[in-house]
Amino acid sequence: MRIRLDPWPVDIEGGQLSLKEFNGEIHDVETPRWAAIHARPIPERLRQVFVVDGKRRMESRLFIEDDHGQSGLGGFGAYVVGAVELCPHGTRQAELRAVKAARILAHAPDLRVDPMTLSPRNPHTGRLEYTPVAMQGTDPLAALNTLQQHMLAAEQNLSHDLASKVPADEQDDREWLSALTVQDGTLRGRNLNGAVVGCVKTMETMYLPTDRAGLLAELKPGERTPVMRMTYSNGQFTRLIWYVRLCGAAFYQHPMAGVMRLEMFAPDDPGFLPPIVRQVANLSGTLLMRLGAHAHKDPRAPQNLIPTGALEQAMGRSMGSADLVTRRIRAHIAGLQGVA
Amino acid sequence: MTNLKLGGPDPAGAQVGMVLGTQDVTPVSFWFAVLPGASVQLDDLVAVQTRKPDGSIVNFYGIVDHVRTRHEGVTFDSDVQDVVAGLLPASVSYAARVLVTRVNPENFIPPQPGDGVRHARGDDLRMALSADKMGEKAFPGGLLADGQVLPINYRFVNGENGGHINISGISGVATKTSYALFLLHAIFRSGVMGAGASAGRALIFNVKGEDLLFLDKRNREVESREAQAQAQKGLSSHRYALMGLPVEAFRDVQFLAPPRPGSAGAAIVPHVEQRGEGVTPFLYSLREFCARRMLPYVFVDRNASVNLGFVIGSIEERLYRMAQGAETPYLTVDDWQPDTEQILEEDVRFDEMGSARISTFAQLVAYLEYKLLDANDGEGDRRWVGKQAPATLQAFIRRLRGVQKHLTPLVRGDVSAEQAARYRPDPLKPGVQTTVVDIHTLSATAQMFIVGVLLRDLFEHKERVGRQDTVFVVLDELNKYAPRDGDSPIKDVLLDIAERGRSLGIILIGAQQTASEVERRIVSNAAIRVVGRLDLAEAERPEYRFLPQSFRARAGILQPGTMLVSQPDVPNPVLVNYPFPAWATRLDEVDDLQGKKVEEVGEDWLH
Repeated sequence: MRIRLDPWPVDIEGGQLSLKEFNGEIHDVETPRWAAIHARPIPERLRQVFVVDGKRRMESRLFIEDDHGQSGLGGFGAYVVGAVELCPHGTRQAELRAVKAARILAHAPDLRVDPMTLSPRNPHTGRLEYTPVAMQGTDPLAALNTLQQHMLAAEQNLSHDLASKVPADEQDDREWLSALTVQDGTLRGRNLNGAVVGCVKTMETMYLPTDRAGLLAELKPGERTPVMRMTYSNGQFTRLIWYVRLCGAAFYQHPMAGVMRLEMFAPDDPGFLPPIVRQVANLSGTLLMRLGAHAHKDPRAPQNLIPTGALEQAMGRSMGSADLVTRRIRAHIAGLQGVA
Repeated sequence: MTNLKLGGPDPAGAQVGMVLGTQDVTPVSFWFAVLPGASVQLDDLVAVQTRKPDGSIVNFYGIVDHVRTRHEGVTFDSDVQDVVAGLLPASVSYAARVLVTRVNPENFIPPQPGDGVRHARGDDLRMALSADKMGEKAFPGGLLADGQVLPINYRFVNGENGGHINISGISGVATKTSYALFLLHAIFRSGVMGAGASAGRALIFNVKGEDLLFLDKRNREVESREAQAQAQKGLSSHRYALMGLPVEAFRDVQFLAPPRPGSAGAAIVPHVEQRGEGVTPFLYSLREFCARRMLPYVFVDRNASVNLGFVIGSIEERLYRMAQGAETPYLTVDDWQPDTEQILEEDVRFDEMGSARISTFAQLVAYLEYKLLDANDGEGDRRWVGKQAPATLQAFIRRLRGVQKHLTPLVRGDVSAEQAARYRPDPLKPGVQTTVVDIHTLSATAQMFIVGVLLRDLFEHKERVGRQDTVFVVLDELNKYAPRDGDSPIKDVLLDIAERGRSLGIILIGAQQTASEVERRIVSNAAIRVVGRLDLAEAERPEYRFLPQSFRARAGILQPGTMLVSQPDVPNPVLVNYPFPAWATRLDEVDDLQGKKVEEVGEDWLH
C-alpha cells in the first residue's frame, strides 16, 4: 500500500484531486503521439498577459413586498471582476485593471423593485447602489445563482475584450498573439473568439483514459501533454484542453500535484487546431511556471497564480467590508421605517 | 520685525497628501498618505484643515517626523521580487507622520481621514512656527530644509520670558561654537535688539585652538561656500540674504590672551601663535588678587575637605585685609623673615625698613607658607593659622604650590600700575561689543580661575547696574566648569547666572558634549535648547527627552552645520541648517582684501 497527500489544505472542499469519471469524448487534435512536449520560450511579440478573475458575495437575503401587494424573496449581492495586466517578459510592473465592484438587488421575477442607494453617514465613505435584477426561479439559491451569472458574464466579457482575437479558420491569419488572457477556472458559455485560456486548478474530473493518465505523473515542470479536443457528454460544449506541470510534486504528494489543466474554446471545425492555440499551449509551461505561487505564500500553490492571489485580495477590498455593508443595510432599512 | 522674511515662493502650499484612516488620527499626531508625484521629507512643516460638524474650521500645523514607503497589497517581504519581475501588482504606500505643533483655534478634535494635507508656507508657516506670537521679537535661527527661515523668539533669549541657550553635541562634528556664534551674529545684526543695537555685548571664551581669534576678519571662503550651498539646496538666494543678515565679520571685537610665560620682568606679550596684532594680554595684579578675593577660584575642589574650605575662607580674608591701604600692583609685608635659601630661591627683595616686597605669585605662596607653617619655629603665625591642624595647612600650601606655575604669568606684581590697569581684562570696556578671551593655552586650573573670576566680576557688575546692556556669555565645555557632581566656586557663579542672570541681563550660551554630565539646573534653565550630532547612547538620556524619539534617533546622524532647535513657542524641535561663517575661523581663511576687489585695494594704496 502507498499513501500520498493531496497538496491542498483539507478545509478546501474537494481538494485538488477528485477524479470523477468523464463520460464525454476526447480526440487527438495536435498529434496522435501521446508524449510530453517541452515548453517553448514566450514569443517576443506577446507583450500583454491579463490574468482575469471574479468574485462575488451575497450581502443579505431579503423578503420583499412591493407597492402592488406582491411579495417574494430576493437578495443584495456584490460582485467584482478584474484583471492583472503584466508583461510576460517582466519589462514593466504588473498593474491591476478594471477592479470595480457592482451591486445587484436580485428579486423574485414578478416583483416591481426600484434601484436602491444606500448613503453613508460619513461623507468620506461612498454610497452603495444596488441595481434591481429579476431572478430566474424562486428557489432559495436563485439569488446567489443570479449573482454568479452576472459575475461570470462580466468575467467573460472582460476576458475577451482584453485578449487578441483567435482566427476562426485556417485562412484567417489576421492577428498575431500579442495579448493573452488567463482566466481563472473553466471557460463558460459561448466562444467569443478571444485568446483566452482557462486555468483549471483542480482535477475534479479525469478526462484522460486510464492508459493515458500515466503521462501526467511523468511530466517534468514546464512540460505539457498534447492538445486534445474534448466534448462534454451532453455534446453542448467543446474545448481544446491540455495538461501542464507547474512544479514537481514533493515525495509526500500524489504525483499529479503541480499539474493543471488548461482549456481554450474549440473552433467549429473539429480537425482545425488554430495556430494561436498551439502557441499558447507551447508557451503555457514557461508562463505558468513563472506565475505559479509558492507553497509558503499560498495554500493552493502553485495552481493559484501569483497575480490571481493579488487580484483576489484587491477584489475583496473593492467590495468593502462585509460587516460594514450589513450594518449600512440595516441602518438604511431603519431609516426607511423611521426607527433610527 | 520687518527684515525677517518667512515663506517661500509658493504662498498657498500645494496639497501633498491626505490624512489616512488606517492609523489612529489624533489631535497631536497623525499619519498622512502622500499623493503620487508629491515629495515629503522629514522636518517638512505641514498644515491640515478640518471642518467640525457645525461647519467651523480647525487648523492643524505640524512637523513631519517620520516618513516611510512600503508595498501595500502584498504580504511577504520576498514579494518585492515578484513585484519587480512584473508578476504581482502592488502599489507603493508613501506615508508620513506628523507631530502637531499647533492647533488653531484650540479645539483638540482629531482631523478626519481624507482631510487634505499641504506644505506650510507663508502664513501657514508663521502659524506652524508660532511666528505670529513672536511678532517683532523674532530673529533668524537658521533655515529649514526647504529654505524657509526658522524664527526664534528673542523674548526667550534675552530674559524677558526666558533666557539662556544650551547646545549639546559631539566635539568636532556638532559645530556647537559655530552655531553659538551664528546665533550671536543673528541677534546683533538682525535688529531684534532694537535701535540701540550696541546695547548687546558678548563675552566669548576660546577654549579650543585659535579658532575664535579671527572673528573680526572676513572669511575668504564664505562667498564660494554659500554659492555652493545655494545651488545644492536650490535656494532662491544665498542663506544670509534669505535670513536678512549681513555677510560680515563681527564688529568692535577685543581679543584677550594670557601673557606668554617667561621670567619675571620680561616683556608682556600675548601668548598666541597665529595672530600677530590686535591681541591684548591680560593679567591681574597681586593686589587685585587679594583685594578682590580671587583665592577661592584657585581651588577647583573646594569641598575636598571641610577644613580646607575653612582655611581658604580665612586666608582669603587675611589677604583681603593685607591688600588694603595701597595701590601698588605688588604687596608689601613687614613680618616676613624667610631663611636665606628661600630669599635666593624666590628672589625676595627687602627695602631698608626690612619690609619685603611680594611681586610674584610664587613669593605670595612662599609668604603664606611662612605664615602658616614656618613662623614661630614651625608653629605658624597664630593669627593666620587659627585652629587648623598642620595637615590641613600643608594640604592648602601643597595645592597652592601645584597651581603656582600656572598662575604665575596671570597674577603678578612685577608690572607697573599703569600696565596693571591696561592689561586688566574688562569685557565691558566702552566701544567694545564682543570680547574674546583666549584660554586654550592655559592649564585646566588657570582656565577655571580666569573663567570663574571674569564671570564673577561680570555678575557682580550686573547686580549693581541691572539688566540694560544684555551680555551674552559663550562658554563651551560646561561639563568642566559646572559638572553634575561636586562643587566649586565657578559652578556657583554659573548657577547664579543660570538662575538669576536672566533677570540681570546675563545670558549664558553654554555648550557641552554631553548634557548629562552638566549640572541639571544649568541645562534646565535654558529656554532655547539646541542639539547637534549626539552620541546615540547619550541621546537616550533623560536630558534629551525634549526630543521626540525619532529626533533622538536622528541626532546620531546629523551633519556638521545642521542642528535641532527647540524653543518654548514651538512644542517640537526643528531641524535647521545655518550658513558658513562670514568670519574667519583660521588664519588661512582670513580675507586679506576684506571683501573688496583687488583693484579697489590697489586704488587705496595708490592714494
